[in-house]
Amino acid sequence: MAFDLGTPVNTALLIYILYSIQRIIFPSSSIPKTVPNEFKHGYTWMPKTHPPTLLFQTYTPKTLAPFNGEDGKRILLAIRGVVYDVTAGRNFYGPNGMYANFAGRDASRGMAKQSFDESMLTPIDQPLDKLDDLTPEEIENMKGWMEHFSSKYIVCGKLVENDAV
Amino acid sequence: MALSDYLVTDDLTIILALVAAGLFLLHNLYKPQALVHPILLGRQSDVARVRNPAESAVYRNYSTGMLGRFPLRPSKDQQVVLDLVKPDADAPRSLWSTKITNPELRARTANIGAGLMRLAGLAPQESNVLLLLNDGMEFLLADLALASHSIPSFTLTSLALLSSVLENHPPSAIITQAEFLPQLLEHMYDTNETNNHTIVVVGDINSLKLPRLHNVRIVQWDDLEREGASVDKATLPIPDPNDVFTVSFFQMPSGGYEGVQLTHQNLTAGVAATRALMPPSSAISSLDTILSAHPMSTPYGRAIAYTALFEGTGFATVDSTKLIKPEDAPTLTGLKDLRTTANYRTSSPTILFVRPDHLDSLSSSILQEAKKSSWLLQNLAWRHKLANILEGFITKQSLWDRLVFDRARVKVMGKGAGTVRAVIVSGGPLETQALTPARIALSVPVINAHAHPLVAGPVFASHALDLQTFPTTDPSPASSAADAYAFTYLAPVGPPSVNVEAKLTHVDDAAVEAGADPIGDLHVRGPSVGQPLSVEEEPEEEELRGWRATGERAKVAPNGTFKVAVGSKA
Repeated sequence: MAFDLGTPVNTALLIYILYSIQRIIFPSSSIPKTVPNEFKHGYTWMPKTHPPTLLFQTYTPKTLAPFNGEDGKRILLAIRGVVYDVTAGRNFYGPNGMYANFAGRDASRGMAKQSFDESMLTPIDQPLDKLDDLTPEEIENMKGWMEHFSSKYIVCGKLVENDAV
Repeated sequence: MALSDYLVTDDLTIILALVAAGLFLLHNLYKPQALVHPILLGRQSDVARVRNPAESAVYRNYSTGMLGRFPLRPSKDQQVVLDLVKPDADAPRSLWSTKITNPELRARTANIGAGLMRLAGLAPQESNVLLLLNDGMEFLLADLALASHSIPSFTLTSLALLSSVLENHPPSAIITQAEFLPQLLEHMYDTNETNNHTIVVVGDINSLKLPRLHNVRIVQWDDLEREGASVDKATLPIPDPNDVFTVSFFQMPSGGYEGVQLTHQNLTAGVAATRALMPPSSAISSLDTILSAHPMSTPYGRAIAYTALFEGTGFATVDSTKLIKPEDAPTLTGLKDLRTTANYRTSSPTILFVRPDHLDSLSSSILQEAKKSSWLLQNLAWRHKLANILEGFITKQSLWDRLVFDRARVKVMGKGAGTVRAVIVSGGPLETQALTPARIALSVPVINAHAHPLVAGPVFASHALDLQTFPTTDPSPASSAADAYAFTYLAPVGPPSVNVEAKLTHVDDAAVEAGADPIGDLHVRGPSVGQPLSVEEEPEEEELRGWRATGERAKVAPNGTFKVAVGSKA
């Protein structure tokens, strides 16, 4: 049998073995200076951002109107003064959705009367719909929708008159 | 020479190749597995989706969740405080120096209660009793007896509050130790108290010189118990869990005092939260012995004591919890304090609820002892342990413990070296730099918790198996000096406890919307948070009810852990 440590292959293997032994007996114990943002890159890690949280804001019909989902904006709609963030339902309330009429508007009357007609919406510059002429069943229907929205989407603001702010 | 001349291989190559392959596998695959997967440590709190202006979102423990209900009690049978003493658990265990079983404890409680009603003239729900006792069987028995008779007990966290409390909230009776009786009587004489008082004394009073007072009746504890034992005891009405059963008075950093009313439900919720500190795989059981450095006069200390009672563990407290001490006795800290429990009959402690000074003292003593072994071994041991911690793993049974640390631990902790299996630290600021040496020295889960005088049970508690070590960052310039120190150098205290929700007020909205960590005043709410005496009216709306200002500032990290700037209160 021939033993020749001088050959390149043997030397390379020997160096690798010595390196491995050194790493096993003297493990690296330096705390990394920068904290990774992914758990795959280290046991000690910190997410880059906080979980997303919306700020509760007060809207008027004029400030609410831009939020109809166009240009990637959020989609908000209001029922009886409570503003919901329905961006998750872009298919329904987004620009090409079935209920796109409601995006950025006060949808109370439409929810009560179960209609998506343009006539259910009050123009932005007029005072908010008082909903005086609704029957008790329609009010119940609207409240049912409010509960549906509260559980499915996020309550993120309240709607007040244009001159109240 | 051709390439093939360089790649000459022989038998040695085969041997070396096998060894190299073996070492490669050993080095890369035989890594210790983290005790808890790091993905879980990236989201330790559940955060509300909406926040009010100038406030942060509401944070809850991730296991409870924003939609979950807070645990109100350890199990559905524990409605009031006396239920925490399970009547069917028969095994004896040592509480301080007394070996007792649960049925015996209940019997003694009933005797004390009957004796108090007869000899001290107390009326349920109308009288109050001030407990000026050091932690011990008498404190526990008196507390349980008064709770089962619906008589609120008053406790003080420091004797400096005695005059204010006696003046503003005069109790119908006082239970105190014989050593303190002369001072108490002198105090009452000086202030010309005209109400009739009954004082129950624990200990021997024959050798004391007592001033004579007409309106004070002195009863001995032993006579009380004997009297109660000789009387037929009727079944008592069960108190409502929402009744106040104790008021704990503590000093505010601004100078005044505050009292927190704790109901039965506050305490059962506190016990549920304290039990949740330990991971389910190594939960507190009747085989444990708990050692506490938090006085039972504080809500947190009481919750720890009742958790020990509920689980049937042994229980002892250290000397620094004493309210009544001899005149010139120094307040012990650190290792000396921990060793004072050797006098009790409890077996070697397994779970320690201590303060940061105890932890620092323990870890520095152990590391100093470890340095006495050979330099090479000690260095290697430190390197290996630290490398393991950086991977998220710690164990007490490794080679390095056997070679280096076990001997050091035995020298410092005695029998505790083998029995201590968890350390829970609260009651003061704990620096990040002190945490890793403590973890290496003790090699058991070290849980950083935060307690507050208003809350029975912990407010925040880090994950038991969390070993993350963050480097110290530069302090942010915007905050005050105290905040900057706290948020840079202190260790994070983890997410809110399982039945506490927390929010921060006076938060900089612009900074938070830009992605910075919210910093503000800490408010807490939950079933274990007591009602302060100064709060008389509550807001009507569900969203605003129940929030208590803690007077401390806190900061939230993206992974849901908090850092609290501890005020000057304990």
